[in-house]
Amino acid sequence: MEPLYIEPTEFTPKVFFDPESSTFEISGFSRPENVIGFYRPILKWLEEYNEKVLSQNLDFSKSLLTINMKMTYFNSASSKFLLDILLEFMKFHSKGNEVEVNWFYEDGDDEIQESGEEISDMLGYPFNFISYQP
Amino acid sequence: MLAVVKQENILTHFGPLSYEEIGFLLNRMFAYIDKQGMGITIKKKVYSAMVESLENIYKHQDIITNDAEYQPRFTLIHKDKEFSLQASNTVLSHKTPPLREKLDKVNALDKNGLKDLYKTTILSGNVSPKGGAGLGIINIAKVSENKLFYIFDEINEKYTYFTITVTILLNQLK
Repeated sequence: MEPLYIEPTEFTPKVFFDPESSTFEISGFSRPENVIGFYRPILKWLEEYNEKVLSQNLDFSKSLLTINMKMTYFNSASSKFLLDILLEFMKFHSKGNEVEVNWFYEDGDDEIQESGEEISDMLGYPFNFISYQP
Repeated sequence: MLAVVKQENILTHFGPLSYEEIGFLLNRMFAYIDKQGMGITIKKKVYSAMVESLENIYKHQDIITNDAEYQPRFTLIHKDKEFSLQASNTVLSHKTPPLREKLDKVNALDKNGLKDLYKTTILSGNVSPKGGAGLGIINIAKVSENKLFYIFDEINEKYTYFTITVTILLNQLK
């Protein structure tokens, strides 16, 4: 399956979902003018990924899926969709795949760190919190 | 002797708003805060409150009267120890009771109460794709950590002019 790559813009984040390495990155700003138009294709890609890749893996040992969330800002409309994306990964986890969520935040950025903690709490799933220097 | 309170009007916008103009206003705010040497927490809080308020104006500016006085309006003021943001737009009068209810609800909650409300709202499935169901208001209240002040000014039976004032105190922050 082809990777999903979306170039970042002033209003939308970079998205790079790579089935080959099983890494999934969303990074940057998110306040799209058309939030559905931006996020629905990403959710659709994940559905296809589940059908074409994960469901085809009949081995006992499943994949480790690594999600790297490196957001600098997301508005409330985006938070709903970011949660939906992570919920998809929770479904993959319930099917036996290992899922690791790395939540990056700029050192001192309490807003992003707390947002990550809240989302982790909503999902009932632990994240790795990693601070970085700007 | 009267104390002199320093007040600077950083941004003012009056009239319909394009998506690009929202970015322009945000960039000007960033430049101002950087020039003042303020930290990332204050910058992110003002940014969040501005995005939610300006996007609210942007989403609802189709509901507009011809009256020049009641056009969308936005101001950001830096007073001595606080940022004060004021956003106004026209709403349909019959939509004011649920909006007032949401505002009163968030004003009655503390930080943890707001986190719980955000969580239950986003997980309820009642969030519209535009991010409705009051997520924006809860988010504004979360970043402000102060009560939201609001006015409903009835223009006529059909339309009401809604103004929200958000205060972010600098001494609460790093």
